[in-house]
Formats: sequence, structure tokens, C-alpha cells
Amino acid sequence: MDKAQKRYAGLNTFGPGAQAVFHICLGLFALLCIIPFVFVIIISFTSEDSIRQIGYSFAPLSWSTQAYGYVFSLGRQLWLSYFNSFLITVVGTVLSVIICILYSYPLYRKDFKYRNFFNFMSFFTMIFGGGLVPTVVVCKQMLGMSDNYAALIVPMLFNPFNIIVMRTFFQTTVPRELIEASTIDGAGEYRTLIQVVLPVVKPAIATIALLNALAFWNEWFLSLLYVTKNMDIIPLQYLLMRMQRNADFLAKNAGMLGADAAKAARNLPSQSLKMALVVFIVVPIACAYPFFQRYVVAGLTVGSVKG
Amino acid sequence: MKKLFALILALAMVLTASSFALAEDLPTITIMFHGSNVTDDTAVLEAVNEYIADKVGAKLEVVWGTWGDFDQKATDALTTGDSSIDMVFTCSWSADEYNKYAKDGYFVKLDDLIAEYGADLTAAIPESLMQAATIEGAEGMGIYAVNGFKDTATQNTWDVNVTLLTELGYTLDDFKAMSFYDFGDLFAKAKEVKGDSFYPFLVEPMVLERMVTGSIIVAGDSGSTNLLSLYLNQDDVSAEGPYGNVMLNKFATEEYKKFVEKMHEYYEAGYVDPALAVAETSNDTRTNAQLTGDYLIGTQSYSFGYEKQIDRGIEVAFVPCTEPYVDTTASQGAMMAISTASEHPVESFKFLALLNSDPTLMTLMNYGVEGVHYTLEDGLVKFDPDARATYSPWTNGMGNVTILPDTVDEGAGFRESFKEYYAGAKAIPALGFVFDTSEVNTEMGNLSNVAAQYALALDAGALDPETALPEFLAELDANGMQAYLDAANAQLAAYLGE
Amino acid sequence: MQRAKKSKRRWDAKNFWLLTMVMPGAIWLLLIRYLPMLGVIISFKDYKAQKPNTFWNNLIKSEWVGLGNFKFLSNTNTLRMIRNTLLYNAAWILLVLVIAVLFAVMMSELKNRFMAKAYQTMMFFPYFLSWVVASYFVLAFLDPTSGMIPSIQRSLGLRPTQFYMDTTWWPLILTLSNLWKNVGYSSVLYLAAITGIDTTLYEAAAVDGATKRQQVWHVTLPGIRPMIVILLIMSVGKIFNADFGLFYNVPQNSGPLYPVTQVIDTYVYNTYANTHNIGMSAAAGLLQSVVGCACIVATNLIVRRIDADSSLF
Repeated sequence: MDKAQKRYAGLNTFGPGAQAVFHICLGLFALLCIIPFVFVIIISFTSEDSIRQIGYSFAPLSWSTQAYGYVFSLGRQLWLSYFNSFLITVVGTVLSVIICILYSYPLYRKDFKYRNFFNFMSFFTMIFGGGLVPTVVVCKQMLGMSDNYAALIVPMLFNPFNIIVMRTFFQTTVPRELIEASTIDGAGEYRTLIQVVLPVVKPAIATIALLNALAFWNEWFLSLLYVTKNMDIIPLQYLLMRMQRNADFLAKNAGMLGADAAKAARNLPSQSLKMALVVFIVVPIACAYPFFQRYVVAGLTVGSVKG
Repeated sequence: MKKLFALILALAMVLTASSFALAEDLPTITIMFHGSNVTDDTAVLEAVNEYIADKVGAKLEVVWGTWGDFDQKATDALTTGDSSIDMVFTCSWSADEYNKYAKDGYFVKLDDLIAEYGADLTAAIPESLMQAATIEGAEGMGIYAVNGFKDTATQNTWDVNVTLLTELGYTLDDFKAMSFYDFGDLFAKAKEVKGDSFYPFLVEPMVLERMVTGSIIVAGDSGSTNLLSLYLNQDDVSAEGPYGNVMLNKFATEEYKKFVEKMHEYYEAGYVDPALAVAETSNDTRTNAQLTGDYLIGTQSYSFGYEKQIDRGIEVAFVPCTEPYVDTTASQGAMMAISTASEHPVESFKFLALLNSDPTLMTLMNYGVEGVHYTLEDGLVKFDPDARATYSPWTNGMGNVTILPDTVDEGAGFRESFKEYYAGAKAIPALGFVFDTSEVNTEMGNLSNVAAQYALALDAGALDPETALPEFLAELDANGMQAYLDAANAQLAAYLGE
Repeated sequence: MQRAKKSKRRWDAKNFWLLTMVMPGAIWLLLIRYLPMLGVIISFKDYKAQKPNTFWNNLIKSEWVGLGNFKFLSNTNTLRMIRNTLLYNAAWILLVLVIAVLFAVMMSELKNRFMAKAYQTMMFFPYFLSWVVASYFVLAFLDPTSGMIPSIQRSLGLRPTQFYMDTTWWPLILTLSNLWKNVGYSSVLYLAAITGIDTTLYEAAAVDGATKRQQVWHVTLPGIRPMIVILLIMSVGKIFNADFGLFYNVPQNSGPLYPVTQVIDTYVYNTYANTHNIGMSAAAGLLQSVVGCACIVATNLIVRRIDADSSLF
């Protein structure tokens, strides 16, 4: 490597001092993000006696794997919910990404005649909504989304926030000349989109897919609204939230429920069980994360020294 | 290819036709319960549907609402006019509050149906419960829900850890002779013996406040933090209280001031867990300490048979504060209403009437199928724990629990003594009164927010009443407390004058 | 002549095909967002069941009450809750923006790619933990009996702070909680935007002798400016909406903390829990939307003056 090349490489990257500062800043914050999850894991291995005596603590009085035993004893319901979470997330993510790309691409095209209309149509719903009750009426009574997978997927298929983000990605990464060149070649609109535009915006698609996957994986409220009889379709998050809500309710209304409530309170799932479920929920999506990330970070060649 | 298609089409038509034939044209009625823990209801519903086919003329489906999701699901079903839910649990304390939802037109008025199909029902349920359900609804005075026959009286008790009390050198009789204001020495001694991180006084602060000041919940008042006090006559609950039949601003009375001052003293001395003063940690903390027996004196709303349901590894005694009293809140504790959106109100009513008067159906719905979920031993129900784990509805939420057979755990004769106990409970003078807050709805919303800021922390003793109480009262006044109070008292006077 | 005709036909075909792309989303929006908007009139009605009891019939026949449902604003704490909502949101929008951009730039400039990926993955963990779980974590530090900080104070012979009764620390605790939850999410968006920047721009700058710091300033930041502006405008639109879980669960809904923790959303929740007045909660939602809309239009106007390309519409 001659001198000139060295100088050029030096211009392409921050020096060791700056790198160290970056590592400290990012490392500290990353640690801060991960510690609460470590805390969750600790609680999931904490014995119930310890929780009742000193509450949630980093240093419990005694340990126990009982919570995981309980989780596995949920048996069929656990695996079914796991399956449902996967199904809803995969189908939901694929569909929502397709809809998002299809909707935002024409908004990026300045030569699309109805661009402003559809841009506003989407944006407006980010600010204004009809509220919960009317939405439930439309989805449940008019569109038949009740006790089926559609009810857990369709209401989240479109997100105006993601549309705007995607449109911005198009604007910043796809040069307009690319499209002009493609259309002059006589390619149809769909072919231009799929063969010319999409390869350029891969990191953006991965990002949007990630955001959607996270949203579907975390969702539980739709189950509360739309699943009444068919508990075979509920996802893992709802299983967890239901335990949480049951426990809260029992504690708050114990006085009104009579002798039965005393029995119910005794048989409630423990705190450690809930935390074990959190672990079950977080681990798969955390494992899936690097898959999306490959596209996001792999595109980053800015900081790397070429050659 | 075409032939195959035709064949499939024909097959499909036959299948559809036969499935229609199987349904026998019986309408489906759906009931939504509260507090269930049911994952497998196939066997039960099969038996129920066979049993009710002729008697009711409908096929039953059940939505097993759980403690945590019932409120959302029930209010959604009602406000959206969902015709797929025919019957729904309601009461004085759930989100689909009986009096409000009846007044707003969500529940079918049952009087005509009772007259036509309800002979068995009226025979099975005490007249007093029918009266408690009689309110001013959307269609005028009448009954808008079938009132479940369960524990119908309120009784607040001191929950005493007798094991520890004895260890400290006191007897239960010593304790019974004390009042709330004399607990100091007892707590000091407990703290001495059990160490500094032990909190002897384990209370539900709002319940404690009612126990000490001798006031009761006014039905219809702001739910999460009550604003109104109606004082009981501690010697005879059926007589007028010390202030007569007048409601007062709960926080402005001398009794309240005296109570929070003492409570603050206890709190400062370390007798009360600070977590009890914080809304979201209060209940969890109390439940946990209660379950592990980690307390000396607690508070508990008592109901008959409560002792049999607990297992804390210590000897527990419940010392009543007053005799049991029947008030509106308790006598509307668990009811079943028919939604005005239902397309089958007649079948629904027939089902509810049967459920509350027919022991076979009630037992089936509640305990499951004999031989599958339980067996009978000398006439007592003995549950199969595995089967019961997949099918445990909330007994009290279903209806008339007095027609159920006794269980092995409860012992023979339990229902009889249960009925006796509650038949002996006296009614308060204002029984049946419900504060209709529709005229002061805004005030109630604003006042409840002010109360949420102060009341729990004051009741638990965490705030100094010297500074916090005047501040609190001033804010209540500024947000329309007087108008709220006047509206309540005008309605009560009118109610009692009738 | 013929050429113009041909180009016009092609022009129509283009719009037609682009229109077919928009259709799935547009149909979804019409059905699931616009149709329920008719329900907004609940805000001006005393919604009750009518005969027959179906939602649309109830909606039409219920009595008009004008602005009656907005009366929840007529209380002595209105200004306090609006102030809390606006101040926290404004401060956090700026803080999250600056920190997330900073982190994204740092991550893009790390030589060690493995660590860059590791940091980014870890930063996403808060997103999975609900506020309820996060509140347990905060409780482990602040609990008056067993919490870490009061325990340390006790062992030092100090009087432990009653965190859930004392408002002093909560603006800080809430701010840290909010950053913890949201910085990772925003920084991944910025990072993706940085990834999309044409690398030849950096090479050209390097050839011109620009130092790395200058490259960040003149290439990276301008490259992600549209993303910054868009995210900023969108968060301004939510300035009247508070993150309910953060203000409710993290302070454990402790009453004495209300002076610094009560926001519009928690107030409305509390009120609804006691009154079950869906007209009131619809009115509150409408109010938040109207204010948000006004803020967005205003911000967008300003942005359009400065940089028309980056504006939202």
C-alpha cells in the first residue's frame, strides 16, 4: 500500500480514538437495553417465595426452574399459540410488505397523476381515526372478522407510517433516471418496479419487513377484540397478556368476588411464569432479527476500507 | 374434467343440505360469562344441548370470558349492538354496570317474560333479589336481569394472623376488644419480634377506610375511588346511621380526618408497607403477603365459606367489623341480562330461568358431566382434578348457586347454612338506591381524577393529612363536589320518599 | 400529431398500472379506516342503545349533545395535563432525534462490523418488553422496601427516598425510560437511510480531500435529511398523544406523582374507567387528532419553505 493509498483510506474512516468513543457510547446504551431482559430471565428463574418476600430483584433469595415446568405443562395451548404467532407474523409480514411497496412506490413517482390524492388518503388516517367501537363494528359485523385468522392479520396490514418511511427511502435511494431509463427500454411498470427498483431498495424493504414483523409478533389487542370462542387461534402474546390481566383483575376486585376469588387467587400463574413466557416470546424474534439485519447492515459499505 | 367438477358440486350440495338438516332449525343462543377458566367445554355443551333442546328450544353456545378480558369483550359486544351475543353477565361492579346499561337501553326488560315463562324462576329466587334487580331502566321501572342467588350481603372483617398474635402474647379475645385506634402497641411489638422489614398492618386502604369510619359504598358512585359516604348504624345496620339517610363528601368528615391522621402515624412508624399506597403495586403486594401469611392484621371482605378456600400455612381468624348488611352493591353482585341486540330473547330467557331453577342444568353447567368432571360420594361432589382444570367456570357468576349439590371440600349441609346465613342478614334503609349520575357525569369524571391523586395515598397513611387533606378538599370543591353531592342527596331523598 | 396521441395513450397506461398498485392499500383504507370514521359523530352525541339495537341505528338516533362530551376539559387540572403532554413530547422528539441520528452515524462508521451488528440487535430489545415489564425493572431500583437505591441509602445511614410519593425524580426517570424504548427503533430507520446513500459520493468527497468528519457533515447528514424531516413531522403530529403505558405503568399509577405524570391519555383513561362514557373518550381522541393535524400542517408549511423536497405533502 503506497502512501497516497494510505491517505485515501484514512479519509474513509474515523481514527482509533474516535472508534473507541463510538464503542463506549454504543456499548453502554446497548448494555442498558439488554439488562432489563437479563432481569426478566432472572425473574423467570426466581422462586415464587422469593418474589413474595422481596419482590423483583437481581439477587433473589432462592432459584427455581418451576416456571419453565409450568410453561411446558401448558402443553397443547403453548405450542398452538406459538404456531399461531409464527403463522400470523409470517403471513402478515409478507402481505403487509407487498401492500406497502405497492402503495408507496406510485407515491414516489412524481409523474403519477393521483399521487397527491393517495398520499393524503394514507396520511390522513395516521392523524384521524374513527375510534375503537366503530372499527370493531366494521371489522366484525360487516367484514366478518371474528374468531378467524383474518381478524388477527387484516386490521394491521396497512400502516401509514411505514408508507411514508418507504416513500422516503425510494426518494433518497432510487435515482429518477433509473426509472426513466427503464421505461424508455419499454419495460412495464411492474417489471420496472420488480427488476430495477426493488434490488436498489433492499435495505429499506428489510427494515420495513422488520418493523412489520415486530408489530405482528407483539400484537395481542386484536385477539382481545376479535377472538371470543375459538381460542385455538390466539397467539403467544395474548396468552401472556390474558394471564397478566386476569391477575390484575383478581387483585383489584377481590372484595367483590366472594369465596371463589380466594381460590382463584391461589391458583393464579406466578410472576415467574409470566416472565418465562416473556422469554419464550422474545427469543425467537431476537433470533430472527439478524436475518433482517443482514440486508440492512450488509449494505453498509461506507465505513469499511475497500481493498 | 367436467364430470369430476359436477360430481364435486353434487357432493357439496348434498353435504350442505345434510348439515342443514342436522341443525334441526334450532336457533343458537350465546351466553357470555365472567371469570371462567375453561379450555374444553365439548362434553358439557353436548350434554347441555341434549338436555335443553326440548325445554328451551335452542342450542347453547358459550363465550367463556375471563377475569381480565370480560370487561372489554362485554362492553364491546353491547355498545356495538352485536347480535351474536344474547346473554351477558352484568352486576353493580363490572364495566357493563347493570344500572347504567339498563338505563341506556342495552338490556331487555324481563317483566313480561317473567310473567309468561318465569314461574319456576320466581319460586327459586328470593323475592328480595327480584326487588334488588327492579330499577328504573330504559323501558321504565322493571327487572332487567336475572339476579343470581349467591352471597348477598357485605361484611368487612379484620383478617387476623392468630399464629403470630399468640406468639406476641395476645389472645383473639384481646384483639376483639381493641379498635383501630388501639393497634399501635400490638404493631410495635410485632415489629420488635419480626424485624424492621416486617409490615404488620396489611390493608386494602379503601376498604379499611370504610371499616373504620363505618361508611358504605353508594351504588352508582365513582367506581375506582368512591366519593360519597353513607354512614351505617354500627349497632343495628337496618336503622338510620349517625347522619341520617344523607350522603356526605367522604373526605370532608371528622371521622375521615381522624382516620387518616392515625393511619399516617402508623405509616410513619413503619407499620404499613409503602407499596400499599401506590395504585398499581397495592393489590399485588397485599395478595402476596396474604397468601404467604406475612402479616399480623389485615382487612378482608368476607363471604360465607371464605375460610375453606384459603391455605396460608397459619391459623387465620376473621373478626367482623359489623354484622353482615344487605346493600344495593351486594344484592346486585352477579346477574345475567339479555342484550337488546339479541334475536332470540324468548329462548334466552327460558334458558336463564331454567339455569336458575333446575339443579340438573345448573350442576351440569357449573360442575361438568358426572363421571367425567366429578363423581358423587355420599351425595357430595368430588372433582377429578385434571378434568376440573379444563373446566372451572366462576360459580358465583353463573346464577343460583344454592341449587348446587355440596362438594366434598365444603362438606354436607354447606348450602343450607349458606342460605341461612344470608337469610339472616339485615337490609340497610337505603337498600335499592342507585345514584344516577347521568346529570353530573362530567363532575364525576373530574372528581374521580382528583380523588385518584390523593385518596389511596391518604388512606394508606403515606401523605401527611395536615397539608394534603386541605389541598385535596379544595380541589374537590373547585371541581364541583357540591353539585355532585346535592344531586346524590336529592335523588336519595326522592327514593326514600316514594 | 400521431406521436402526441401515442404518448398520451402510454401516459394513461402508466397511470392505470400505477393505480392498480395503489388499489389493495386504498381498498383497505376505505374499509378499515374511512368507513369507521363515520363513528366520529359519537363525539357529539349521547350514545345509547336504540330500537332496534344495532350500532348504526344507535349512532343515528342517539341524541345530539353539541360540545357536551368535551366538558371533561373543564377541570382544574386541564392545564397541568396539557402542559405535561406537550412538554414531555417536545423534549423527547428532539432528544430521540439527536441521539438516534448520532447512534446511527456511529454504527455506520464502526470498523468492526460484528460489533456494529451486535449493538444494533441489542438496541432492539426494549421494543419487545412491554411497559408493564419495564415497570418491574424500574420498581427493582425504586421499591421503597427492597429496591436497590433505597437499600443503598439505608446501608449508608440515609433516609430512603420515597420515589413513588416524591415528584422530584420523575421527569428524569420518564425521560430515560422513553429514550431507552425509542432510540433503538429510530436509529435503525436512520441506519437504513444511511445505507441507501450512494457510496460514490463518499469516494468523491475523499478524493477532494474531505476528512471523515467533513464527510459525515456534508454527505451523510444531507443524505438522511429527508428521513429526519419526515420522522420529525410525523412525531409532531402525535404531540398531543402520550405513550399511555409509560405514564401509567412506569410510575405505577401513583396518585401523588400526578403533578408530573398525568397526561391527557391517562386522564381520559381514568375518567372513562369511572364514567364509561364513550362519547367523552371519542371527543378526547378527536381533540388530539385536530391538534395533531394543525401541528403537522404548520410544520409541513415551514419545511416546505425551507426544503420543498423533504416535505410530507
